Amino acid sequence: MQNVLTYLSLFFTVIVMQAQTETTVSTSDTIPTPYQQGMQKAFQLWHDDKPWEAANIFERIATAEPDNWLPPYYVAQINVVNSFTEKDGTKLKAQLEKAQDFINDATAISKENPDLLVLQAQLYTAWIVYDGQQYGMAYSAKASELYNRALALAPENPRMIFAKAQWDIGSAQYFGGSIDSYCKDIQRAIDLFATFKPEGEFYPTFGKDRAKQVLAESCK
Amino acid sequence: MKISVLFFLIIVFPSSILAQTTVSGTVIDNKGRSIMGANVYLEGAYDGSTSDEKGNFSFKTSEKGSQTLNVSYISFETAKLTEDVSNMNNLKIVLREDLNSLETVTITAGSFSAGDNSKVSVLKPLDIVTTASAVGDFVGAFQTLPGTTTVAEDGRLFVRGGDAGETQIFIDGIRVFTPYTPTANNVPARGRYSPFLFDGITFSTGGYSAEFGQALSSVLLLNTIDEPTHDKTDIGIMSVGGSLGHTKKWNESSSLSLNASYINLAPYIAILPDRNTWKKPYETASGEAVFRQKIGDGLLKIYGAFETSNFELTQEDINKPEGVRFKLNNQNFYTNINYSERLNKGWSIFGGGSYTYAKTKVGIDDADIKDVENSAHFKLKLKKRFSNRFKLNFGAEQFVTDFSENYDDSNLEAKLGFNNNISVAFAEADMLFSRKLALKLGLRGEYSELFKEFTVSPRISFAYKTGKKSQLSLAYGDFFQQPDNEELKFSTQLEAQHTQHYIMNYQYSANNRIFRAEVYRKDYSNLVTYNEATPDVNSTFSNNGDGFAQGLDIFWRDNESIKNVDYWVSYSYLDTKRKYKNYPIEATPNFANTHNLSVVAKYWIDDWKSQIGFTYQYGSGRTYTDLNTPGFLQNKTKSYNSLSLNWAYLLSQQKIIYASVNNVFAFKNVNGYEYANRPDASGNFARRELLPAADQFFFIGFFWTISDNGRDNQLDNL
Repeated sequence: MQNVLTYLSLFFTVIVMQAQTETTVSTSDTIPTPYQQGMQKAFQLWHDDKPWEAANIFERIATAEPDNWLPPYYVAQINVVNSFTEKDGTKLKAQLEKAQDFINDATAISKENPDLLVLQAQLYTAWIVYDGQQYGMAYSAKASELYNRALALAPENPRMIFAKAQWDIGSAQYFGGSIDSYCKDIQRAIDLFATFKPEGEFYPTFGKDRAKQVLAESCK
Repeated sequence: MKISVLFFLIIVFPSSILAQTTVSGTVIDNKGRSIMGANVYLEGAYDGSTSDEKGNFSFKTSEKGSQTLNVSYISFETAKLTEDVSNMNNLKIVLREDLNSLETVTITAGSFSAGDNSKVSVLKPLDIVTTASAVGDFVGAFQTLPGTTTVAEDGRLFVRGGDAGETQIFIDGIRVFTPYTPTANNVPARGRYSPFLFDGITFSTGGYSAEFGQALSSVLLLNTIDEPTHDKTDIGIMSVGGSLGHTKKWNESSSLSLNASYINLAPYIAILPDRNTWKKPYETASGEAVFRQKIGDGLLKIYGAFETSNFELTQEDINKPEGVRFKLNNQNFYTNINYSERLNKGWSIFGGGSYTYAKTKVGIDDADIKDVENSAHFKLKLKKRFSNRFKLNFGAEQFVTDFSENYDDSNLEAKLGFNNNISVAFAEADMLFSRKLALKLGLRGEYSELFKEFTVSPRISFAYKTGKKSQLSLAYGDFFQQPDNEELKFSTQLEAQHTQHYIMNYQYSANNRIFRAEVYRKDYSNLVTYNEATPDVNSTFSNNGDGFAQGLDIFWRDNESIKNVDYWVSYSYLDTKRKYKNYPIEATPNFANTHNLSVVAKYWIDDWKSQIGFTYQYGSGRTYTDLNTPGFLQNKTKSYNSLSLNWAYLLSQQKIIYASVNNVFAFKNVNGYEYANRPDASGNFARRELLPAADQFFFIGFFWTISDNGRDNQLDNL
């Protein structure tokens, strides 16, 4: 059984390999607040391939802005993304536990948040990749449920549509099921990305390029 | 933009831009090594920096006065320093390792944990259900672990020279009084509860926590799932019956799972008759329900199970050519309600109770025996976490048993019964001196109302990490247990039975491989003795028995060396003797043998979407009394061998076909001998082999899960 799960989860590994590094720079002439400055600096460091320094800044902002879910969301995101390439098991576990702490913090601020649900699902995926046999059974069902819930909360959000479609493609391919409907969902997500407006400043926007890539690779 | 910021700052805070303070220093660990990448910042401010490869950091701040500096790094405890900013330069920050992280030593003496997130996971929940010999019985899977003895005809857990009654089973920390299905002689019992209800299982073969008592040898702790993931329906169609389950989840805070099953062995026995003459083959109907409700930070769980079973057969008996008629009718109800909540300041509370109602009607030839047991267990437990290094656990519990029996045959009519109440208080401290050294100290006091007796059991365990991947644990404990219902119903002029455990355990684990070796010594005292072959109201009972058990248990599991193969090997060496019940001398009981070996392997074949597994079990001969030569329990049967195979095939993601065969090679195992009551004309006692009802068992089933996400299946129910 573990191999099915390892297979499925490996398929999803790439999903989080890219993350939001472009920043939505405020175009107005108003003077940036320390929060905006901090966030921009963090995104810049992340973009410059210094994810841990970026994570440290997000963490600092998280303590200064206890009512904002975005800083802990990004701390968790960086820890999850980098766990996929981490070889040292001890460090990997520590990163995933840290990510879980920050997801918990963010969830306490913003409940039923589809972006946090998807991130939680990705964290479970990381555990499955780390040890499919131990975590596969329990976490693949949980992750699946989270994608469903995220999509139910934001049915027109291309990020949720794409995340769920990509998750579903993996298992359909393994069991020989049809992936046509999922490919349609990905195409729909790409179309929606064109007009996608994040709800606010620094809200996650990434996913469009990856969606195009998956469409090209899996839905030929 | 930069210009405007600067401009703004100069206008608004002219002084601050001119009077910035530099915060600087070095971050090291407690061995003096520099830590790179630590996050250093003033709490609540945006000012901070990341330490460089030499552990150095430096940043400017416009904050003034007393501030708190936070220094955090992954798998270290966050350090905080509150001081005037002007003094925060050339700081030396020492971070302590976070003992909560995973590489910390854990006490492993005596216990095997099977859980999702357990640090010493020896068996995972999935293993319990995919072990070939177990046929979905959680108890069966634990019989492949070291420390257990193969007593194939019984089915219950026999641990380290103890009889089956010396192992107690707990669900969510609350005692289960009747954990096994009732059976006839020579037909193995099964655990009543389906394994998929549990996500964490700890099997302790000795030296366990002060929280648990009334078990001389072993405890099996089952924890129910806190929160199911989603709505689903499970359908199972089996060669022996059917099952139907449904889980419904309402939002995030409550859920209900219902499960019903019906088993009837009549068609199976019609096709494959066994050695018994069945008049009414085994039939059972059962239902289970679990309701979970989150209340704030607390979780309420209500679990209920009802089961009714009956059968009637004629069993061979050497003293009765026509055989012995045996008829059984059992109703069992179990409910377990518990509530747990995390409170403020490191406190948490757990409260719960269970109630068992068991009614068994047994007919043996012309005798009718009716047993009714009403038992309850209540527990209240508080936990205080002072730090990662010191935790305290204490509580109180109460056991209540009301047992009555009506015996009725042509010559005798009798009523027996007793009330047995036990009050308990326990406390335990967990101390972590460093990542390498842990100590657990516990004390348990029990008062028996029936015996007017107070007992005190100290428990100590200790673990030391000998290397990065290895550790040594030691444990000592005193354990008390009341005599069985079968003895208490005749006499209550008794005392609690007693054992002392001494355990030394070595564990090495790395890369999905685990090796454990454990030596132990167990001293029994105060065991119940009586003066007649079969006890009755007129027998003389006392606590004059004693005995010992000592041995070595070895476990090896490897999930890494052979691709797609996971296997484990358990070996147990046991040396035990005791004088109890009606034993004339100290002897090795017939449920104990010297050598036990189990090999379990599982092979995943990707192309076939199948998992194929086998279990091989070996047990050296068990003792029996040969009436034709002088002595008591002086002879041994031949050894026991069995090889079982199973095959799970994923038809599609949610449909599984599962087949298994126990004892593929049909080894003819002899469990013991039954001797005639009287010698024949030549002075010889005739004897009969006690054989299993059937040498082999075949099972085939189809399992279908229907859920919205289309992902999970019942592989974890099998």
